[in-house]
Formats: sequence, C-alpha cells, structure tokens
Amino acid sequence: MTIFPIDRLWDEAVVLEGDRQMLRVQSTRDALLCLKNHWPIDRTDAVSAAMSACEQGLQSDEDPTRARQALIDAAKEAGFRVNSWTT
Amino acid sequence: MKVKDVMSAQIVTVSPSDTAQSAARLMLETDVGALPVEVPGVGAIVGIITDRDIVLSVLARGLSTSTTIAEFMTVSPEVCDEQDDTAAVADRMRERGVRRLVVVNADHRVVGIVSLVDLSSDEPEKEKWQ
Repeated sequence: MTIFPIDRLWDEAVVLEGDRQMLRVQSTRDALLCLKNHWPIDRTDAVSAAMSACEQGLQSDEDPTRARQALIDAAKEAGFRVNSWTT
Repeated sequence: MKVKDVMSAQIVTVSPSDTAQSAARLMLETDVGALPVEVPGVGAIVGIITDRDIVLSVLARGLSTSTTIAEFMTVSPEVCDEQDDTAAVADRMRERGVRRLVVVNADHRVVGIVSLVDLSSDEPEKEKWQ
C-alpha cells in the first residue's frame, strides 16, 4: 500500500464500536489503515469502495466527508455501532 | 559524516490532534517506532512521539487510547538539517537532553528522525581497557 504523507483531518471523529473493538477515526489516512489492517470481516464491496474513497481523498483535494461517509457505510455493514454527532 | 547518512528516513508525520490509537496504527503500517508531530497546514514541527510513549504515558496510566498526541508527546520544536555534521548534532542533543531530533531538508520538509544511538554508532570505537 502507498504510504500517504499527507493526511486529511475530519471535522468530527467517528467512533466504531464492535464486540471486542473500539476504533476512533478522525482522518482519511487513519480510516484507510483501519479498513486495511483492523477490519473484522473480509473485504466486501463496501470495504473496497471505502478504501477507494479514502485513497482518492488522499490523492486529491476532494471533500473528506466522502471518505468519512464511505467508512460509516462499511462499518454499518460490518456490524459496528457507529457513534458520531452527525450520523 | 552527515546526518542524512545515519538517520532513519521517513516522511510520515502525525498531527497533535491525532490520537494514541491512530498513531499506533500508523507506526504499524510504516514499521517505525517514532513519528514527528507536525501542525497540519502550517508545517511546524512541535515534537516527537514514540511507541514507548504510547505504552508508558497512555496505556500504563490507564488513559484512553483516544488521548490526543498533544497530551503525551515530547515537546521538541528543534530540528536539524540533513546536511548537518553528526558530531555537532550529537553534541547539541546531549546539551539539550533529547534523544531524538526530527531531520528536515533545505525546503524544511521532514525527511527523517535521528537518534543519539544512530549518531553514536558513527563515533570511533573507544579503546578498551587492557
């Protein structure tokens, strides 16, 4: 995986609660690392889409909320409880 | 010898508002034990965090893994240039009492971290007592 030296911070963190995990994510690069290395289920379409959204967000000036929403969608599919003020 | 010859090259930094948890994930991915802390957008280096800091300052004290880096980083705004002489940098680090310094290039971009251990390996081996 490409290591992205530039990160995109989000306005608000997303806290993902699983049975044995609690992932707090507040940036696009960190979301990508969670999806790649710490995700509890195999790669599904939603995970792949979220990883693509993160990679694209790190390679461009795209609005980081797209990567954030893609992470939330993948998290819901994986059975995480999603905690966020704006979700 | 120059700092660039002995430093650990790395260009990835974290922000003071990142968390211990996210820093640990980045350390795992990049296979490093120390990360420069940089103010995003400004580019100013404000400190360094290590994997040891996460263990001793966060986990051992029972703090949340959501603790921000600003709360436990070693504040060290000082940097050295990759072209600096290793002996001079080692002296400066001993004088200031720091074990690691962030290394920047001529454009003031982070290019690595140098530790006293890296620098001491450059020093001539001391004669052993007979």
